[in-house]
Amino acid sequence: MTATDTALASAPTATAIGSASITSAVSVPDPLRFDLPAALEATEPPELTLGRRDAVRLMVSPGDAEPIHAHARDLADFLDPGDLVVINTSATVPAAVDASAAGEFVVVHFSTELPTGLWLIELRHPVDGAATQPHGGDFAGVDLRLPGRATLHVLGRMPASARLWVAALDLGEPVVGYLERWGKPIRYHYVPATWPIDAYRNAYADEPGSAEMPSAGRPVTADVLASLATRGVGVTPLVLHTGVASLEGHEMPYPERYRVPIETARRINATHEAGHRVVAIGTTVVRALETATDAEGITHPTEGWTDLVITPARGVRAVDGLLTGWHEPEATHLLMLEAVAGRRALDIAYPEAVRARYRWHEFGDSHLLLPSTPTGEQGPAWARAPRPPRPDVAR
Amino acid sequence: MTAPAAQRTAIVTGASRGLGLALTTALVQQGWHVVVDGRDHHALAAAHASHPASVTTVPGDVTDPTHRAELIRAAGEPISLVVNNAGGLGPSPLPALADVDLDALTALFVTNVVAPLGLIQEALPYLTADAVIVDITSDAAVEAYEGWGAYGATKAALEHLGAVLAVEQPGRRILTIDPGDMRTKMHQEAFPGEDISDRPTPDAIVPAILTLIAGDHPSGRYRATAVLTEVGS
Repeated sequence: MTATDTALASAPTATAIGSASITSAVSVPDPLRFDLPAALEATEPPELTLGRRDAVRLMVSPGDAEPIHAHARDLADFLDPGDLVVINTSATVPAAVDASAAGEFVVVHFSTELPTGLWLIELRHPVDGAATQPHGGDFAGVDLRLPGRATLHVLGRMPASARLWVAALDLGEPVVGYLERWGKPIRYHYVPATWPIDAYRNAYADEPGSAEMPSAGRPVTADVLASLATRGVGVTPLVLHTGVASLEGHEMPYPERYRVPIETARRINATHEAGHRVVAIGTTVVRALETATDAEGITHPTEGWTDLVITPARGVRAVDGLLTGWHEPEATHLLMLEAVAGRRALDIAYPEAVRARYRWHEFGDSHLLLPSTPTGEQGPAWARAPRPPRPDVAR
Repeated sequence: MTAPAAQRTAIVTGASRGLGLALTTALVQQGWHVVVDGRDHHALAAAHASHPASVTTVPGDVTDPTHRAELIRAAGEPISLVVNNAGGLGPSPLPALADVDLDALTALFVTNVVAPLGLIQEALPYLTADAVIVDITSDAAVEAYEGWGAYGATKAALEHLGAVLAVEQPGRRILTIDPGDMRTKMHQEAFPGEDISDRPTPDAIVPAILTLIAGDHPSGRYRATAVLTEVGS
């Protein structure tokens, strides 16, 4: 398939995303549409194909200006001293567990713990090989048998969801420990093999709890963190435990558990006060920070569950820039990207990414969205004299 | 650590299903933080699983004073709305007064009259200046329907408490709302075996209750269906 095979259309249309059965889907008047060639779907970790995680490509969108092609290891070059990078230190757990539902083999995806100790789960059935598909059956009142003499009682559907169920667990041990023992990483149809759980964990991840990888941080290696420190860019943590993605259903994001520590809130407020930029590593960081930030733009230390959906109409208050992956056509995450960077930046970047054969999904390439107007006194790094090139991949 | 958004807090009792669930969901969509209760903690948690950030579930029985205190504590901040929705029907099928079990009648008064007043007493010190108290009643409180004597008497008593409270608390709005017949579990128990699918769902009644809460209607008794007509015209 060549670039000319790909069509990108963003003409206004009244079509809403999502299927009609999903009541939680919002109507999007003008979704970003493009065809994603299968060849651009990354199917294996770049450390296997390229030798390093930070060797993936990085497109930088400085507002509406022409995108710049770089590599993830160059991230610090595009940030200024005083800018603050916010990372999500949640670690991915192997959240897929085989189970038996009245004799039928199903796969349980553990998504999100609720305040009550109940869990949101997804039930899937296997298709050729180890891939799974959403299971359309009715599981209300069903008892599932899991390995290790564990059971799971399905109470009913999560209201307004076509995919998720509410379940009471009897695992005989804490959930994370149980999943480490019996679970496998959740993976979707475009990843043909099962990679070890470490492939789904960021270099800085230290608190197990995510069902799926907060994958924007994948190329942010120890070397990239060191280069940020050298440049005078701050790095500060928060935690948001991801639930199952809404990739297949085009549903709105589900509630997720998060925590913005007091020191992180303080540094974000101080960064804004000093006129510098707060750059989120991933959409999970945006969701947590925007939940914790009030209408005046002050970020508060908070924790709990968030069901915030960030749209262009809602806008962003805490985040100036975003490092993220490449999202599927019409994915709801694109709304968040548009809220951060504006529609024009995406209309430029996405066709360019398809043309230049960037790669999609959690093992794919990166995209740094920055505001048009640099807030630093000297202007952005990329506008200054180019640095000597670094030695390529190697080691 | 406070929630960043200026969020109003409501307490809605009996919110595992029916009108309480529909009202809670609508309040969440309007940006409220809602503290809810119900006796079946699994049913309560499952019903509100979509909104863990906006709904605080406190399983328990409104007739338990400790549980009522827990509800107030869970609200944790000024309370803007209290909805006494939890209530009992008494024995089903509905017995004639000549046959009413007096212990069951006593228990029904505790559930439908003592518990709502208990929750109001507990909440009063924490209410905002513009707080609204809603008591959910029934036309059985004013009409003489065969078999509805016990239930009707408790609802009549609840209505009277609301009327006197409005006199004693002139700054507050105490709304006694008759939602009319609805397709709910309670209504089905009142008419066991009958087809009640011609009754409106609770979702159809909720807009009337929201209108009454948000508006400047003075304390008093309101029929939801009349409010819907008023809004529609």
